[in-house]
Amino acid sequence: MKEKVLSIPTPFGASLDLYKNTWGKSGDTLSIVSGLQGDHLNGIYLNSCLSQFLDSVVEGVNPNYTLKGRVISFPVVNLNAIRSGSKLWPYDGMDMDLAFPGNPQGETSEALASAILTHTADSYWGFILQSAPPHYEDAPHIQTLKLDGRIKNLSRDLQIETVRKRKESAKVNLLQQWHSHDTVAVTLSSGSPRTINLPQCEILFQGIIHFMVAEKILKDRRKIKSEAPIKSRFYEENDEVPVFASTAGMFMKEVKAGINVQAGQKIGEIRDIYSGKRREELLAPAEGFLVTLRQYPIVYEKEPIATILTTKKSWKEYLPWSG
Amino acid sequence: MQSQCIFSIQTPVGPPVEIIRHTFPSQSAKPIKRVSLVAGLHGDELEGLYICHRLMQALKKLEDKNPSALKGEVNIYPAVNPQALETGTRLWPFFSVDINRTFGENNTPSLTADTAKALFGDIKSHSDLVVDFHASNLQLMELPQIRIIQNFEKTLVPFAQLCNVDLIWVHPHAEIFESTLGYNLNQARVPTLVIETGICLRIHQNYCDQIVLGILNLLRRTGTLDLKEPSIEVTPARLVQPEYVAMIQANHAGLFIQQAEIGQALNQGDKIGDLIDPVEGQVLEEIFSPCSGLLFTLREYPLTGKGAPLARIATEEPA
Repeated sequence: MKEKVLSIPTPFGASLDLYKNTWGKSGDTLSIVSGLQGDHLNGIYLNSCLSQFLDSVVEGVNPNYTLKGRVISFPVVNLNAIRSGSKLWPYDGMDMDLAFPGNPQGETSEALASAILTHTADSYWGFILQSAPPHYEDAPHIQTLKLDGRIKNLSRDLQIETVRKRKESAKVNLLQQWHSHDTVAVTLSSGSPRTINLPQCEILFQGIIHFMVAEKILKDRRKIKSEAPIKSRFYEENDEVPVFASTAGMFMKEVKAGINVQAGQKIGEIRDIYSGKRREELLAPAEGFLVTLRQYPIVYEKEPIATILTTKKSWKEYLPWSG
Repeated sequence: MQSQCIFSIQTPVGPPVEIIRHTFPSQSAKPIKRVSLVAGLHGDELEGLYICHRLMQALKKLEDKNPSALKGEVNIYPAVNPQALETGTRLWPFFSVDINRTFGENNTPSLTADTAKALFGDIKSHSDLVVDFHASNLQLMELPQIRIIQNFEKTLVPFAQLCNVDLIWVHPHAEIFESTLGYNLNQARVPTLVIETGICLRIHQNYCDQIVLGILNLLRRTGTLDLKEPSIEVTPARLVQPEYVAMIQANHAGLFIQQAEIGQALNQGDKIGDLIDPVEGQVLEEIFSPCSGLLFTLREYPLTGKGAPLARIATEEPA
């Protein structure tokens, strides 16, 4: 089931090999891709946990589940970036997620992108596992380009509370390419680059297992009563409230990504590096879910420090007897 | 020359990051044309900085000696990605972001996207015509050329022919261009020429001299500068359509040893170089020209992966 799907010669001998994992032979396919950036380690770790789990299922070691569908995973795509311990491969400085659809005859990044898309384009579902952008931490959440019925069902099956619709941007990224192939695809984002956050990985791991059971890719043979489902909250683009630094210095955070903040709640402060004096206090401008928070303390003026997802309450929540 | 800081951000330590626009204002009540020149979007591409320097020298001299010649307005943005320029890197180092992939619609708030937005807004509101200077990346040497996406050909080719470049390469649209400054300005109906010349981290004075003459000619022929003498002799560029470009790619990974010169008129079968195995001491591949034509791109950085471009040739027959 671990299969070499591309081998690229390198100038100094050993070839660079791209591997695909496959479990199951029939049924709608779920593709899971991580490691588009070399420092998005949460996704790589999560994918390896899923590999271990699915191996145990197909080998019969795990008696609780039976595989009914088909799963493909690419744990690592940007092999050179991972080898060099960086987000991008220093040789080409190219963001791998701007290389799609790729070119099988092209340079390394283009050839890798082409292979990924070729092997996943006919998938019914697609998950990209990523971390926050450099210097930030994301609470586990789903990012999607659409909020249609299929995506809403997928999100509910994943049992992840926060679903964030992003504006369509670069057409040359994998998520956009999957959408153009009518794959029901989302990005699962969590944590910071260069780190592994085990509790966050566990949330996403359980979510993906739940999804596979709900979509009958896996059969759960246990007769256990399912817990109350988590209700997903869907956020449109205009529900996002960024918090900007109006000065430069050292940001000392006072909250964690993944909490609900109140309007006016202190998020942190920016201190002058030389004097240590407070230059700015950053307060939440609105009540909501803190989905992204600055992790790296050194900040420039005008940088976004946090993103809060706000919700317009439904009329039912204003009723006096509503909780 | 009037200088204005169009975007400024405090940094955690040291001086602020500032983007400067120098304006040579028109002496006419209404400028005939407003031409903007932009350099340094990629911090390792230095040719454009030197071209802007030379043009500023020429325009300052003109302001002193013959100010009435400035019928139009010239805006020069000589170093638009200051932190990348300071470190000599293509990307804005703190964010590892290519700022020339952040123009256009972008939903993620970031300092790089804000910077791109501010720069785009300023250029758009101050320009009837823009020239965006680039050198090549670390790997390829480029003959002075202007690259034009097919959709913009009709508007841009007449301007491009004035710029004294060797080649005007009209190429198909690709989605990756949609986040660049040039594409977005052209979409916003501000004609924008993208000049590629030389290679990054170096200055080729002869190429820069050639382009400086070309830009002065462009300014003169668009009426921006009213200069009677001396007239500038500009050789018409070779206009190359997509099917007349042959790209040679490496079939192996190794070190490329070039045996041709950029700008050379090649005959079919001429040797361009060898691709060698640096470990085993073998020649992996001899590279010959598949056609006759002008060698306008040549690999300069020897370390080569499979599929990497080695050369581009402007052919005489469809490639």
